Amino acid sequence: MTSSHAFRRFAFAYGTAFAVLYVVALKLDLALFTVYPKQSVVLLGTHHSRDVVDPAMSFLAPAMYWYGWTASAALGALVFGLLGAVLPELWTRRIWAGWLWLIPIAAMSACVYLTMPWFRL
Amino acid sequence: MVATILLIVHGLVAVALLGALTHQTLATWAPGRSGSFFGRFRRVPPASFANAVVILYVIAALLGGIVYLYFRVDIRPSLERAGHWPALGFFDIKEHFISIGAALLPAYWVCWRRPRTEEPYRMRAALTGILAFIVWWGFLTGHVVNNIMGFGS
Repeated sequence: MTSSHAFRRFAFAYGTAFAVLYVVALKLDLALFTVYPKQSVVLLGTHHSRDVVDPAMSFLAPAMYWYGWTASAALGALVFGLLGAVLPELWTRRIWAGWLWLIPIAAMSACVYLTMPWFRL
Repeated sequence: MVATILLIVHGLVAVALLGALTHQTLATWAPGRSGSFFGRFRRVPPASFANAVVILYVIAALLGGIVYLYFRVDIRPSLERAGHWPALGFFDIKEHFISIGAALLPAYWVCWRRPRTEEPYRMRAALTGILAFIVWWGFLTGHVVNNIMGFGS
């Protein structure tokens, strides 16, 4: 097994796992951290300002979750990527390579579906 | 001022990325044969664009990630007050797509720079097509959202 083969398996596993985990993080709102840019504060985990202050006042502390969702998915995908890299090539060869592009397309479609509420406002 | 400079650099990097990926996608999906302008546009060696695409994508995403902080504080509240919900929806989709595309970069690079003989050509073509779609979506959405507020507003 060469390092180039291991990196190939890592890259393929990471890309597909990230796509799935990103949709999971988005749907379940699993942000590794929450950014409050106005206050220059980063809190570990998912925090909603409306949970601690009146929803009408939440504009004072706009929260950002995209970084946290991306970090959650990246961390999870890293585990799958490393697993893919250490698994014997004989095992990974049985996995259909087409998943590499089919899963991200499905994940992108899921992201569009989860964003549809914006278009109904 | 800092946000404006970053946004302009982000836009310029995005234009370069758009050009590289469009060249590569057309050369992969519909290789050119004739000597016409469009033929030459599609006759480039697609593998030679892979490194540039990865580097430009990472730079554009990092700059976008920084500019996004200013957007969330200064621009988005105004768009919400003005009821530009579809534009915000398209922008949210852009963020999701950019993240998924960034995670595909290692696989994309491996497919182009370390290809295997038994690997189907369509895998490379599909990954390139997905990235091209993501970059075009991001570029057009960013452009439209920027136009809603206008320069310097």
